[in-house]
Amino acid sequence: MREPPDDPRTGPDDGEPTPPPPSDMPPPRAPAFRRGAARDDAVPRIETVRLTAPDLKRRAAMAKTRRRLGFTAIGFGVLFVAVMLKLADATIIQPLQPHRPERPIAQLLDPPKTAGSVSPARRATITDRNGEILAISLPTAALYANPRELIDPADAAHKLKSVLPKLDEEEAAKRLAESGKQFVYLARQLSPREQLMINALGIPGIYFEPTERRRYPMGRAAAQVLGGVDVDGHGVAGVERFFDQRLHDDPTPLRLSIDVRVQAVVRDELSQAMDEFRAIGACGIVMDVRTGEVLAMVSLPDYDANMVGSASPDERFNRAVTGMYEPGSTFKLQTAAMALDGGIAHIWDEFDASRPIRIGRFTITDFEGKHRWLYLPEVLAYSSNLGAAHIAQAVGAERQRAWLRGMGMFNRIGIELPEVGLPIVQPASNWKEVTTLTVGFGHGIAVSPLHVVRGTAVLANGGIMLQPTILAKSLQGGGHLDAMPANPTQPLPPPPGERILQQSTSDTIRKLMRLVVTDGYGKTAEIPGYYVGGKTGTAEKVGAHGYRKHTNVAAFMSVFPMNQPRYAVYMMLDEPHANASTHGYATAGWVAAPAAGRVIARIGPMLGLLPDIADADAIKQALYIPLQPGRPPGAPRTPPVAAATPEARPAATGQRAQRPGQPIPANGPMTPVLRPAPRDQRHQAQAEPPAAPPTAAVLVPALATR
Amino acid sequence: MATLSRADNSLLGRWWWTVDRWTLGAVGVLIGFGYIMMLAASPAVAERIGQSRDIFILKQVFFLALAGGVVVGVSLLSPSGIRRLALAGCLIALAMTMLTLVHGVEIKGARRWIALPGLSLQPSEFLKPCFAVTAAWLISEGRRTPRLPGTLIAVVVYVLIALLLKSQPDIGMLAVVTAVFFVQLYLAGMNLFLVAVALAGGGAAAFAAYVLFPHVHSRVERFLHPASGDTYQVTTALEAFGNGGLLGRGPGEGRVKDVLPDAHADFVFAVAGEEFGMLVCVMILGVFAFVVVRGLMRLLEEQDLFVVLACGGLITGFGLQAFVNMASTLQLIPTKGMTLPFISYGGSSALAVALGIGMLLALTRRRHHGDVP
Repeated sequence: MREPPDDPRTGPDDGEPTPPPPSDMPPPRAPAFRRGAARDDAVPRIETVRLTAPDLKRRAAMAKTRRRLGFTAIGFGVLFVAVMLKLADATIIQPLQPHRPERPIAQLLDPPKTAGSVSPARRATITDRNGEILAISLPTAALYANPRELIDPADAAHKLKSVLPKLDEEEAAKRLAESGKQFVYLARQLSPREQLMINALGIPGIYFEPTERRRYPMGRAAAQVLGGVDVDGHGVAGVERFFDQRLHDDPTPLRLSIDVRVQAVVRDELSQAMDEFRAIGACGIVMDVRTGEVLAMVSLPDYDANMVGSASPDERFNRAVTGMYEPGSTFKLQTAAMALDGGIAHIWDEFDASRPIRIGRFTITDFEGKHRWLYLPEVLAYSSNLGAAHIAQAVGAERQRAWLRGMGMFNRIGIELPEVGLPIVQPASNWKEVTTLTVGFGHGIAVSPLHVVRGTAVLANGGIMLQPTILAKSLQGGGHLDAMPANPTQPLPPPPGERILQQSTSDTIRKLMRLVVTDGYGKTAEIPGYYVGGKTGTAEKVGAHGYRKHTNVAAFMSVFPMNQPRYAVYMMLDEPHANASTHGYATAGWVAAPAAGRVIARIGPMLGLLPDIADADAIKQALYIPLQPGRPPGAPRTPPVAAATPEARPAATGQRAQRPGQPIPANGPMTPVLRPAPRDQRHQAQAEPPAAPPTAAVLVPALATR
Repeated sequence: MATLSRADNSLLGRWWWTVDRWTLGAVGVLIGFGYIMMLAASPAVAERIGQSRDIFILKQVFFLALAGGVVVGVSLLSPSGIRRLALAGCLIALAMTMLTLVHGVEIKGARRWIALPGLSLQPSEFLKPCFAVTAAWLISEGRRTPRLPGTLIAVVVYVLIALLLKSQPDIGMLAVVTAVFFVQLYLAGMNLFLVAVALAGGGAAAFAAYVLFPHVHSRVERFLHPASGDTYQVTTALEAFGNGGLLGRGPGEGRVKDVLPDAHADFVFAVAGEEFGMLVCVMILGVFAFVVVRGLMRLLEEQDLFVVLACGGLITGFGLQAFVNMASTLQLIPTKGMTLPFISYGGSSALAVALGIGMLLALTRRRHHGDVP
């Protein structure tokens, strides 16, 4: 009933019959439209339809409208299909990846990069020769505030206090309240955790400044060598200061010659010896005798390089280069070498050690009590002051000074450390004969331990001058050893460099050094298979009133292996005290030489040197030198200088008689000595008051020279 | 609804059996989508502008319910009732649109709104359906009654409305009203020469708008040369679609709503694309297309010119509005702030659209012999 089947609708293509309608026809639907009439009574409309002209016109218009409705629908269809295609394009065909999540990360990454390029690059790392890190800069942050941006200074200080317990809250609040300022440092060197927690507090006006923190992961190892940095990252001592600009400008690691393993061994042994003999300080050096590279440089007491600011002056004092000590008997090697090299003395020459030397106001004595003429090897083996003095006398002041100057004993050592000190040396005008004599056995001159090491290394390496260095030269220790002689009894070819003494002199000195350990006072340093050679040296320290009794500096200067010298090991104790194990002696042979032996035994394998037991006999033969060598036929018996010492008068025999019954090892500190006359400042580099005026006319060299 | 008997002769019963239930159902689906999208998009927007997170939801729940009521209520009216309603609405909306120029609330540089308690009313939204019906009546009455220059009156009223909208300015609404009126004239049988002239005039007007109105110029420029300016909104919207893909990120997983200022209104389609994916977007699009194409196809059977013109205008307005919204969100056309009917947030818009759909439903109800009393 909804749609009468006879509805006169027509489509545009219906082929509508078009009889000319009468013009008086009512509108087409009028006949059927009878309001209120019963539906069944309706006249079938089909019969009443009259197609009139307006009706046709209207129908045509409707047809047009319908056509256009279709076009409109098609138009909308096109629009919606376009939207759908674009939708498919945007979602699955070529979806635009959301790039915003990446952008903030990129923005986060960018500023540090630019900040890093603006701010100075990180201070270069310092490594040892094997690449172990000795000093490294770690990124950290400093906390600062802009008080003008702060909302509530007291609240900000309170919040910060919750993260930084060390912060002084009241002080911080006061400083944050200074609205005139725009920059207030609050804390330095925050840990990443602290930085994160402070950031999480979300206090406006609180900022971080990227900084760096210098860390020394090895702590006390080579502390004086490394030195340290101040809060601003500038080197204040040691390598950090010497290479401050280099470390600042060049980010590549600075490789030192130090070997931390060797450094640790030396420190360990020194510290043990220091405890055992209750010494106030100690110094140890290991140097490559062929390159001058310092593998270890220890000065005790030391400090943690991370806390250089709280280290005491004594701890920061580098005894190896700053401390100036009378070298004592270790210097007798130089005296022997200069005499042998100049042809002034020969190993078969004998020197008068039977009587003290009295010269001017001074009297020189020996303490080991041979009381006879000694062959040159005996002078060294028994460490005779008199013998060494006579040798020096034979050499003469001029040649002695020239030799020592050539050995660099008069100048700063030149290693790359800002603390290097100037040796204390009598000027030429004041270099009297007594000076020549005392310098012959290592008194009347004060040099740094490194001077002694360098001088001895030059004697042992074949006679080539060395420039000690703290920077690594070769890849591994023992540079320039491309052609290692297969025969262990042959000396190594000398390293390149300036020769300052003859190879033959060096060969003789090597044998003499070995002799000291095999037959002399250095026996405690012997390590089988390493053919240690060396020389002891015990010197009384100079105090405010001259030499101080019972306070000495005991050093052992060694080189190993003597058949093919590679490393020099120097061990020194400052003011050691005797104990039962040393039979009451605090001399170098008892306190320093054993430590040196232990160091050699431990570092030898580390440095690639294994004890050579197989060739022991051959090496022993090659290094053999008799204590009393026979004079070759035709050689003069008397040293050429024997007559050249008219001033040297034998001292009163009575003085010797004062100590007739002394045991052979008895030595200086045990010996009653007279107060010394004023001498040059033979003391440590720390300036001490000038020595007191002479209290006695006679000087007994108070130097335990063993 | 199955309880309504075909014999039920009550107002509601007759309505149920005569109304276009497919379109009604489609409108219901759209309102349902509107609820869902409101739940998805508006809390983020509300939080960003510092409102209670549920404020938009509660408002929109009320407005959508009201809109549903308006759809049904209006569709209960007879065609003559619709005619009267549209005439009255047209007059009132005209007056209020004029009022906006004097007392309007200026938002983002345009005076389109009148502040009422609880909502800002945009009278031109209501003007659009009412004018469509009024124009249809004027045109068809002009045909029926000799010496009544109906079409001319309609053109005069249109020019008046166009001037008002230009003054606000509301170029988008003007374009839609123009397009609707043009479609009505076209359906009424305007000769093709005039159609061509009108199209040319429209093109010229569009170009004039491009030249005269800086914001139109800027939007077109950014559309034509995306690299030239700030395309933040559309780029973000496209990223949202790309992020959504075929099936979407899942309800609540979208992020475009957190960054786009108009995520709950003009860019709600992008939110739907991101969270529910292309399939749901195609469904929404399909519903709109269904309403439009079905409405137009049903008019083929209609005998009454007034109904055809009125419905054609209403459907055109509705469909154009949906198209402009979706197309500009997808960067198919320059950005034009226009709501997606029933789905975008906005009380004024929802009620206006509901009024138009209600009129459409009322006019397309099956009548005995297709009579229009």
